[in-house]
Amino acid sequence: MARRYDSSTTTFSPEGRLHQVEYAIEAINNAGTSVGILAKNGVVMASEKKITSGLLAQARTSEKTYKLCAHATCSVAGLTADANILIDQARLRAARYYYQYQEPIPIENLVEHVCNYKQAYTQYGGLRPFGVAFLFAGYDEAHGFQLYQSDPSGNYSGWKATVIGANNQAGKSLLKTEYGVSRREEGGGDGDEMKTDDDDDADPSDAIEMPDVAEACRLAVKVLNKTMDGAAASAEKLELFTMTLDENGKCVHKILSREEAKAVIAEVDAETASAGDT
Amino acid sequence: MDTVFGISYDGGGACICGLPVVVLATDQVNARSILMYQQNLDKIAQLSSHSAMGVSGPNCDLVNFSEYISKNLKLYELSNDGRKLSTHAQANFCRGELAKALRKGPFQVNVILGGYDDMNPRGGSLYVMDYLGSCTKAKYGAQGYASNFCLSIMDRDWGEGMDEDMAVKLVEKCIRELEMRFLINQKNFIIKVIDKGGMRTLKFGADPADN
Amino acid sequence: MFGPTLVIGNDILDIGTSKFDNERDQRAIGGGAMIPRFAFGEPGQFDVPNVADPAHFCRNNFASACGNSDANQTVKFAKGTTTLAFKFDGGIIVSVDSRSTMGAYIASGTVKKVIEINPFLLGTMAGGAADCSFWERNLGMQCRLYELRNKKRITVAAASRLLANTMSSYRGYGLSMGTMITGWDETGPQLYYVDDDGTRLHGRYFSVGSGSTYAYGVLDTYYRKDLTVDEAIDLGKRAIYHACHRDAMSGSINNLYHVTKDGWVKIHAIDVNDMHYEYLEDKKNAMASS
Repeated sequence: MARRYDSSTTTFSPEGRLHQVEYAIEAINNAGTSVGILAKNGVVMASEKKITSGLLAQARTSEKTYKLCAHATCSVAGLTADANILIDQARLRAARYYYQYQEPIPIENLVEHVCNYKQAYTQYGGLRPFGVAFLFAGYDEAHGFQLYQSDPSGNYSGWKATVIGANNQAGKSLLKTEYGVSRREEGGGDGDEMKTDDDDDADPSDAIEMPDVAEACRLAVKVLNKTMDGAAASAEKLELFTMTLDENGKCVHKILSREEAKAVIAEVDAETASAGDT
Repeated sequence: MDTVFGISYDGGGACICGLPVVVLATDQVNARSILMYQQNLDKIAQLSSHSAMGVSGPNCDLVNFSEYISKNLKLYELSNDGRKLSTHAQANFCRGELAKALRKGPFQVNVILGGYDDMNPRGGSLYVMDYLGSCTKAKYGAQGYASNFCLSIMDRDWGEGMDEDMAVKLVEKCIRELEMRFLINQKNFIIKVIDKGGMRTLKFGADPADN
Repeated sequence: MFGPTLVIGNDILDIGTSKFDNERDQRAIGGGAMIPRFAFGEPGQFDVPNVADPAHFCRNNFASACGNSDANQTVKFAKGTTTLAFKFDGGIIVSVDSRSTMGAYIASGTVKKVIEINPFLLGTMAGGAADCSFWERNLGMQCRLYELRNKKRITVAAASRLLANTMSSYRGYGLSMGTMITGWDETGPQLYYVDDDGTRLHGRYFSVGSGSTYAYGVLDTYYRKDLTVDEAIDLGKRAIYHACHRDAMSGSINNLYHVTKDGWVKIHAIDVNDMHYEYLEDKKNAMASS
């Protein structure tokens, strides 16, 4: 009888669940993977592009990464058609905020707005939830660079590094072991010498030293290598995005060109090859 | 009829690292047709911990507008995890609301808004607005008939590096000129300062709480 | 955009600036999720004249209470008044006349210009008689509903604010009202002035109406905070008398109320004409004895 509650998004099942919403979340877990990594001087997002047919014309613009305003960009996992509606909403919200206050919108405010919109589709009758999860990369004055993820239910959370889409569990476990590790291994981190014994009691996440953007790019490719089952990541199949600040404090959004992406992939390959040797 | 002054200064002990601080002053009269109702009104509405605006206009619009703005800013704080809008954003929000109201029974208020920011750019700033929705950032300003008498005094006397004492003296100079040349008797004035510590009342002619 | 997107976009999610603007449209469309607000005294809850531009119609046919601007209008307001109220150590005195005029014609000499909103709240009436009594009766209802909902009496501050909100929402529609809302609440004796353009003032003493300038003259000269109750009653009585003496539009009976922590009591209703001879006699005796 559980099926009785499948068709309606707005009705709880006797177990207290919203099946349609859970299915929507499940649908994301089969979508192209997106990785987001917070760096100390920026944010990196990398997405897997699923090539469905060789006959398909190459998209001129990005397929997975969308600029929302001067200081925020999102990466999509799930139904692109659904995502377009939400991206419109986000852009509208950011522009309206700027119109009202003549000041850039705080990132969390923007994320929350999109998530409220998603949430409504899990509560109102006759509607289907959005089959989209997002990674939001952004910068604001109060909190610097930020990375958020959201799911179809309207939940959102802030991360240092996270993965959405297919094989996200594998990706996350890789991030858990690798994020900040290269620094720790080098032992040359500036903060290390200052450490006292008290720090050992502190939250372990505090001990993680953030990578820089180049390192984060390499890590993102590594994660995609792992999540894209079988095939290794190639420049054709992934989209690498970086957000940094220029010398005037303005946000620079950049999707890496094929050549640049190739270079990053080559670096990663070299790194893993040498690691394999030892 | 009402008088509103705003002056920023960046010298003296109160100004850390030469960051500007703002003074707001208004008269305390509330009059309608030939009757004067009150001489102890406070026309400087506090908007948040570090911002306030001097408002001139009919009492109804004055109260409704300043309350509408201050409560909306409070709502913003509540729904954004305690984050406060910068003075610049507050001024633009105000301006927007004035412009929005213009075509549907306007708020007939002219405003000088002052605030102090801890972030980017740090320090105090002053914005002069009219009921039509124009808004300019200024170092000093005056609203009402008083501007006819006092802007020239401010142009003459205002300077970089003034301290609090000099700024208040400048306000008092303006008040003296009004006593001398202005037809309407504005006996009492209230003067407030907004700096790093928030808003404080420097002096008043009659206690607004006394009724 | 189409279908549900539109409804949702405008209904609960548009947290931006246009939310308020859309609310009314939503109500018109009949978006099922909207709960109609229980809002008396808001435009739309009260019928306005069935003409193209009600505000314009009101301005042309019903001039405000100030001045003599209705001289050549066929429909004249019943108006012309002196009312006053003041706080002192012994409570609050509310004192009013009872004349109502329509142009040069005295329409009534027995108008009750103190409106007993409830046992702890009084309102006075100046300006349009109909507007005052209608909106203060409406205020009485709102205060009673507040009491039922919140299980406590409304404060004078809140009650006066309700009236002021009503007035500012009908601003420009030609209402004519100048009133003082007084009473005793948990914060002690309170006195507010509220008028038709939405002004709401908190003060020690006010006078409203065509004779208010005369009443202010006496009040400003003789008011003290530490008056005894008898002195205060006499001040309220005399201020109205002198206003009625000089103002052609004020006169007839002086009704005077005293508000204490136990609520209001009516002290007297005296014909100002009788007062005139009484005070004349007093003055004669005083002159003779000096």
